[in-house]
Amino acid sequence: MTIINYDQRLVTSKNPYPKGPNDWKRFFSFNTDAKVIGIQYIVTALFFLLLGGLLGMLVRGELITPPSDLFDPTVYNGLYTMHGTVMLFLFLFPMLSGLTNLLVPPMIGAPDMAFPKLNALAFWLVPVFSIILLLSFFVPGGPASSGWWSYPPISIQNPLGKMINGEMLWITAISLSGISSIMGAVNFVTTIIRMRAPGMGFFKMPIFIWTVLAAQLLQLLGLPALTGGAIMLFFDLSFGTSFFRIEGGGDPVLFQHFFWFYSHPAVYVMVLPVFGIFSELFPVYARKPLFGYKFVAVASFGITILSLVVWVHHMFYTGTPMWMRNLFMFTTMLIAVPTGVKVFAWIATLWGGNLRLSTPMLFCLGGLFNFIFGGITGVMLATVPVDIHVGNTYFVVAHFHYIIFNTIAFGIFAGIYHWFPKFTGRMFYEGLGKVHFALTFVGATLNWLPLHWAGLLGMPRRVASYDPEFAIWNVIASIGAFILGVASIPFILNMVSSWVRGKAAPPNPWKAIGLEWLLPSPPPHENFEDDIPTVLNEPYCYGLDKPFVQDEQFYIDKSFKKH
Amino acid sequence: MNTKIIKSNNKKYLTIFIVISAVGIDILISLLMGYWSYSWLPIQASEAANYVDNLFAFETTIGTFIFLGCTGTMAWILIFNRAPKYDESNGQPLEGNVKLEVIWTIIPLILVLAIATYATKVNYKLENLGSKTKYNFGQEAPFIEEKKPFDFGPIDVISRQWNWEFIYPNGIHSSELHLPVNKRINFRLITDDVIHSFYIPAFRLKQDIIPGSVITYSLTPTRKGVFRLRDAMFSGAYFSQNQTNVIVESEDVFNKWINETVKKELQNGLNPAGRLYDKRLKNGNRGWATVEPAPAPKVQDVGLEDRPHDG
Amino acid sequence: MLSDNESPTINHIPGHVKHDGHNMTGFIIFLCSESIIFFAFFVGYGILKVTAPVWYPEGIDGIAVKEPLINTVILVSSSFVIYFAEKSLHKKNLWGFRFIWFITMLMGSYFVYGQYIEWSELSFSLQSGVFGGMFYLLTGFHGLHVITGILLMGLMLYRSFLPNNYKGGEMGVESVSLFWHFVDVIWIILFVLIYLWQ
Repeated sequence: MTIINYDQRLVTSKNPYPKGPNDWKRFFSFNTDAKVIGIQYIVTALFFLLLGGLLGMLVRGELITPPSDLFDPTVYNGLYTMHGTVMLFLFLFPMLSGLTNLLVPPMIGAPDMAFPKLNALAFWLVPVFSIILLLSFFVPGGPASSGWWSYPPISIQNPLGKMINGEMLWITAISLSGISSIMGAVNFVTTIIRMRAPGMGFFKMPIFIWTVLAAQLLQLLGLPALTGGAIMLFFDLSFGTSFFRIEGGGDPVLFQHFFWFYSHPAVYVMVLPVFGIFSELFPVYARKPLFGYKFVAVASFGITILSLVVWVHHMFYTGTPMWMRNLFMFTTMLIAVPTGVKVFAWIATLWGGNLRLSTPMLFCLGGLFNFIFGGITGVMLATVPVDIHVGNTYFVVAHFHYIIFNTIAFGIFAGIYHWFPKFTGRMFYEGLGKVHFALTFVGATLNWLPLHWAGLLGMPRRVASYDPEFAIWNVIASIGAFILGVASIPFILNMVSSWVRGKAAPPNPWKAIGLEWLLPSPPPHENFEDDIPTVLNEPYCYGLDKPFVQDEQFYIDKSFKKH
Repeated sequence: MNTKIIKSNNKKYLTIFIVISAVGIDILISLLMGYWSYSWLPIQASEAANYVDNLFAFETTIGTFIFLGCTGTMAWILIFNRAPKYDESNGQPLEGNVKLEVIWTIIPLILVLAIATYATKVNYKLENLGSKTKYNFGQEAPFIEEKKPFDFGPIDVISRQWNWEFIYPNGIHSSELHLPVNKRINFRLITDDVIHSFYIPAFRLKQDIIPGSVITYSLTPTRKGVFRLRDAMFSGAYFSQNQTNVIVESEDVFNKWINETVKKELQNGLNPAGRLYDKRLKNGNRGWATVEPAPAPKVQDVGLEDRPHDG
Repeated sequence: MLSDNESPTINHIPGHVKHDGHNMTGFIIFLCSESIIFFAFFVGYGILKVTAPVWYPEGIDGIAVKEPLINTVILVSSSFVIYFAEKSLHKKNLWGFRFIWFITMLMGSYFVYGQYIEWSELSFSLQSGVFGGMFYLLTGFHGLHVITGILLMGLMLYRSFLPNNYKGGEMGVESVSLFWHFVDVIWIILFVLIYLWQ
């Protein structure tokens, strides 16, 4: 028997990295195991979801009545700025890095990430910049309060004139977050390109891997532009340069270009892995192959490429010339096409299936429902004349929360529930999960659906007070926000109690196809260790009589053995 | 044999009937939503409003059709394709269908191109934005001549942290914006500090005001009444107070206002932010840092802060 | 990418993935990403130069090209020198490698020195309007990269004295050399933008 079919890179060598402690302490150490890092990321992110949610509820508390009566407007501005920043940079990005860390190596049959130490370093930057960001609450003058866009000149006004101020800490934290993300992106892309199991060609990868690759390439291409802009903003704020300061001939609109060149694709960085989660979960719970696997896979890259040329749609009313507005309206509109391909493929996957409405599936269905709605309002926002009316109003706030919470966070919850048994080795409580879903769906809908009308009537975003005619929409929204706050209780209860004393999970509780489901729950330190399977088909062949890997029974038997 | 054919024929007809009636109901609801969508928007008070609302109604109709089509299918699946308890068998093993994929790539493509073309036409019709000219900040904003025709103007719109001032061609300073109805009016948008946005929801128009640039802008009010002008680009602490009124009047009333106001004395204009800031100072200056509000503008027409407005 | 020739039998060979094998891939990905920061700065420079109402600070109508040109020639030629260093390492000529490598370091250091002299003789500062900021930002950010490159070269030189260090491959040397070429290309664009386009 010859050994030619084996990948040259899989050579015999001792694992160069020590395993570290194997109890709870490993989650508090500089551990290089991607699965530990993944859980570190996810737990940290969930903590910041609570914090960001609390800030959000304070914001909604202020907005429940028209006048600015709960806080001073300056405090309100700081709170909403920090709400956005915490949610994006401390919750969503770390959360997705966490899911990516957990899932990528097992899904492609790799023992770990390509650069485990870099991976651990990228994670440990998260607490560092989180602390820097949160410290800004305690510096004189309060935290950054110019919105998460941090547009100059408002962001570089620095009213107290101190060197250390909220805005300065904010830029520092965001830059560190960018460095952490770049480290992660280099790692993920290298791992996916170089460390796939034998036989796993690009068109046999799980869709989640496709979307992670698309998203992380977007990070690599876009994030440096924001970093460049942030460096210049930092110099303007702290060292008296005038890149964006009009007094020295700078141009404040230039920052908007830098900012949106990254920050629009950033939304796709977050939503693409969630599309991946949808594509993984629908086939499992509908017991059907993913409809049009190749189209769904390629559509991810369609979104990546298009999303790099749409950023000016955030600047339709900044004095952008007509031809540019029309051009970017067309490119923005085109994104609806690959996205539509995905949505229709998911619905076709469900069609004629045998649906199991377990908690992860409910979150997926809810997320898809909300995404269709948010996608349609997105097309509305892309048309210049409508955007000129509703841009910078609550219509935009409602739209992006429909994407960022009602789609992305729903997908994240679905993913957490779906892979919870795999990585903790415990089953969660289905009943509590369903309560969590019901409260989240009702709360999220009450919170953001009414705000569309407030925006259409002309209520600007970021206001601390508003005219009384908008009161009704805001009261409903605030009630929704508080329901969302309540929704976190069953979730926390479920996660903590299941992990501590839940039923032991079998290797493949959902009867899913995928390399990760051929591993024991929880998987051993180096996943497949010495027996990396050879992949024969994409992991969606439900009912198709196509083998997934060679010697499948061998891996199934092995996964039941205690390690 | 024969009954089998009839049965399968019956099933086929039933399917066709269900699909056609579902599409019919979807179209009906979509048209209704398109019709209702006009009521979600403020009063139409400028030339642009009608175009914007029509486009929005068009998008609402198409959007509702797609939304109901997708979610209706999902609802159907949820009702009829649920697995019974303990049933873990697989569904129909459909891997894909290239024809279908091509169809649902092409149709949305045509749809969005159609919407974008429609929107482009509206853009060319309205052409509110004139030119944007950078100048050396600190010097007087230069006078930029508007090349496109207009009936009245230019009115200087000066935005500050946080008040508005309007200067008319004959030198009137006002805190509220008085405009004659059905005349194309030209503005020069200027800011003294940060980015603001000149947003009048009833006009469906918004234009950011960029420091270091003079932006010329034209619009035509088409309805008499009082409308809110809101700063729509976050501009700091008292951003939400940075609002004033637009009063659209018949030409006679407007001319009368011009002639009477020009004789009045200059006095402090609307400045709600300044009042709130004074209150804050009196209460011990609690809260997080903010720049000081600009002093109230010196105007001939002070206006009325809580004027009842139509939109 | 993996070979697609799958045999129907499976071979379970004990072994782990050797982690070190991906450094070059990772490094190239990182450099591509890094180049976007410079790209952003260059685009910013171009836009501001074309649109700013005032460009040069008062009393200045351009900057001298002669000394920077000498600097440029030295930096660009060091890119060729480092190529020969790498070549001698391939030929297992360790002393040759160390010598030529050291010369590259000297050339890089001269460039930094030249930059320092230029900076200290300029009559405008970081705060002098939009040109002043852009000039110091671009040259400074590039200079940081040059210094990083020299330090990395020093590290590689040190490692060449560890016994058998380059037996397993020259990934580190190749990466540093690639980084040096990158720094060079960036400088050429920068030189054209700042010094030639006046």
